[in-house]
Amino acid sequence: MSESISRRELFVQGAFYGGSLWAFVNLPRPRAARAAEQSAERLVFDEAQWKTVEAVTARIIPTDHEPGAVEANCVNFIDKTLAHEDAALKPFYLAGLAGLDAVARKRFEKPFVELKPAQQDEVLAALESGNADGWPIPQIPSAQFFEAMRAHTVIGFLADPKYGGNRGYAGWKVMGYPGGGHHLGGYSPGQLLGTEKIETAWGEEV
Amino acid sequence: MAKREEFDVCVIGTGAGGGVMIQELTAAGFRVVALQRGPYLKPADFDDDELRTIIRDQVFSADQVETYRYDENSPTETGRFNYMANCVGGTMTHWAAWSWRFRPDDFRVLSAEGPVAGASLADWPISYEEMEPFYERAEWDFGVSGDAAANPFGAPRKKAYPNPPHPPRRASELLAKGMRKLGHHPFPTPLAINSRPYAGRPECAYGGACLGYGCPIHAKATTLSVCIPKALATGKLDLRPNAMAREVTLGRDGRARSVRYLDDAGTEHEVFARHVVVAGNAVGTPHLLLMSTSGSFPRGLANSSGLVGRNLTLHHIAAVGFTADGPTRSYAGAHSHVACDDFHPSDARRGFIRGGVIAESNSAVNQPLSFGLVSFLGYPAKRGWGAELKQYLRGFPRAVALAAVLEDLPMESNRIDLDVYVKDRYGLPAPRITHRQHPNDFAMNRWYTRQMMDIADAAGAQEKWDAVFYSLPEERSAMKGFMHFHGTCRMGDDPSKSVVDRWCRSHDVKNLWVVDGSVFPTAGGYNPTLTILANAYRVADHFVREAKRQNV
Repeated sequence: MSESISRRELFVQGAFYGGSLWAFVNLPRPRAARAAEQSAERLVFDEAQWKTVEAVTARIIPTDHEPGAVEANCVNFIDKTLAHEDAALKPFYLAGLAGLDAVARKRFEKPFVELKPAQQDEVLAALESGNADGWPIPQIPSAQFFEAMRAHTVIGFLADPKYGGNRGYAGWKVMGYPGGGHHLGGYSPGQLLGTEKIETAWGEEV
Repeated sequence: MAKREEFDVCVIGTGAGGGVMIQELTAAGFRVVALQRGPYLKPADFDDDELRTIIRDQVFSADQVETYRYDENSPTETGRFNYMANCVGGTMTHWAAWSWRFRPDDFRVLSAEGPVAGASLADWPISYEEMEPFYERAEWDFGVSGDAAANPFGAPRKKAYPNPPHPPRRASELLAKGMRKLGHHPFPTPLAINSRPYAGRPECAYGGACLGYGCPIHAKATTLSVCIPKALATGKLDLRPNAMAREVTLGRDGRARSVRYLDDAGTEHEVFARHVVVAGNAVGTPHLLLMSTSGSFPRGLANSSGLVGRNLTLHHIAAVGFTADGPTRSYAGAHSHVACDDFHPSDARRGFIRGGVIAESNSAVNQPLSFGLVSFLGYPAKRGWGAELKQYLRGFPRAVALAAVLEDLPMESNRIDLDVYVKDRYGLPAPRITHRQHPNDFAMNRWYTRQMMDIADAAGAQEKWDAVFYSLPEERSAMKGFMHFHGTCRMGDDPSKSVVDRWCRSHDVKNLWVVDGSVFPTAGGYNPTLTILANAYRVADHFVREAKRQNV
């Protein structure tokens, strides 16, 4: 599957350097991009689009015994990044969302938000495979749009809460990340070894 | 009209090569003007904001653009492939501070291996013995921490490291145990990061975000934290940030005369100097020389050999990640705390020549986004979303990662030239990277991946994953870029086969010097920075000595 090959190819260099080789690194971004304030105000999506994106994020990082993308407010992160740093992606995104609903209607005769979770997974898997029956935009590969939503959801779940997602540190709690080490004042030799606890950014110990 | 100001030396680039030249020349009393693309950042500008620094890349190189193509018949793609930092201090500002000496045979690869089909192997014109005192100088100026006695395979040395090793984290203990179990010889990765207060800089706080980040307390040694302050204190340095060099001009006497550069607003300036040192990294240096055309040098300055930009090497990386059965603390500490160098000697029986070093490398397992986006790319889950992704994310506190930095064989067709179709924000032609791998690289990468998978098992891996670099179709496996670039202005004794001489002085233009990774004839299987530093000390030593005799 070509999608998975390209993912793994990125890992070769990314594994050494960190994240900067992923899909949108070459986006033209405003030089003085400003971080999104945490805010429930919709800046890019209308109400229906907001609900659709939220439903997609819920399938990408589902809620189980712990919070998922919905509780972390990933849709808010995506709305804010499309308003600011990733504004160049906005037309692509809005067209893609219309495409998502077109595929959902073709397959199940309902918009995406009204489908059952298993049906939603089917639609997303079709987009990811690049063979989504009813995908109306030949200029935008559906797999590329899916990957944009997937990556944005992961970022919204795991980026610093100041960017509008990761609400209440939900993502970091699931992951077991205590917060930025510089902000926590660094670590002692005992903490490096795991023999001493670390106090997290939200005041618990791990 | 006021008399035109002329400096003794103009240094272009303030990274490992340029920074040391600036430090040494100003200390010797020369008046130096330094040009650096990008801002003069301070420790307060650095933090561990992963989205801003790594994913969105808004700190170090927001405006950089390059193009890449596999070979001359392939289409180009536009992007950013060279992970250099455009700021005072250059790429060292966000380096991981791994500080290796090359081994003696790294300086004579052609003699040691003989010619290899498809590769342009060469010997360095200098030996390890000539470099040794300057390696020592670099280690002591930059406060390298380590335990030389613990590595039986290291290059011979006269003096120990100036600082003791850093304390281990749980992940590095597990790796050391696994390596020992297999009969390897683990040792603390030598790092130019303070393990105790040293040279006026504090000890490391072990915050966990190192490679790709600037150090907010300057515990990490960089030319920004070590060389630039010393040079400014002499009063001999005119430091000009936000200065993008666009041309080195040639005088009627055949000597470099001035450097033209663009400031942040795109306004052109010109600065005059008796000597010009180009230290713009192995992409930036040929980029500048190729843009500097004249009647005498229609193919680019100092390019009578036609080799400016050619023989590009950029290493290739093998990477393995795994999860252990308990907390590993990979998100705390430096980038690497343990290494083993048991496999470095060349051995054709393995199916390839040359080699590289294996070390813990936490950059894809230390921060949440790198783990969630990048490390996952190699993870053998069926799906990058849903319950499988969430399960994967929960493995973060137990993650360990290691990497091998591997020597790629030089090929003349791998090169930097100018892309006439794509312009950067200054309106200059973008550097174009043409790069594919030699077959030797694939065999080496496969072999090293296997060794690291074995180490992962011996270290108690629950789940493990690798980068499968070698199993992709050849054209998809080519490294498009990296942080280590070398070879594009080879040094050598023969002017028809090299760009600069053994003192890194142009064969063609006698007051033009190239002092960065460009001069490496071969890449070595180690991170290059300590060797760039040591070589710069060597060149500066020669320059100062000869200048006193009025020989330069």
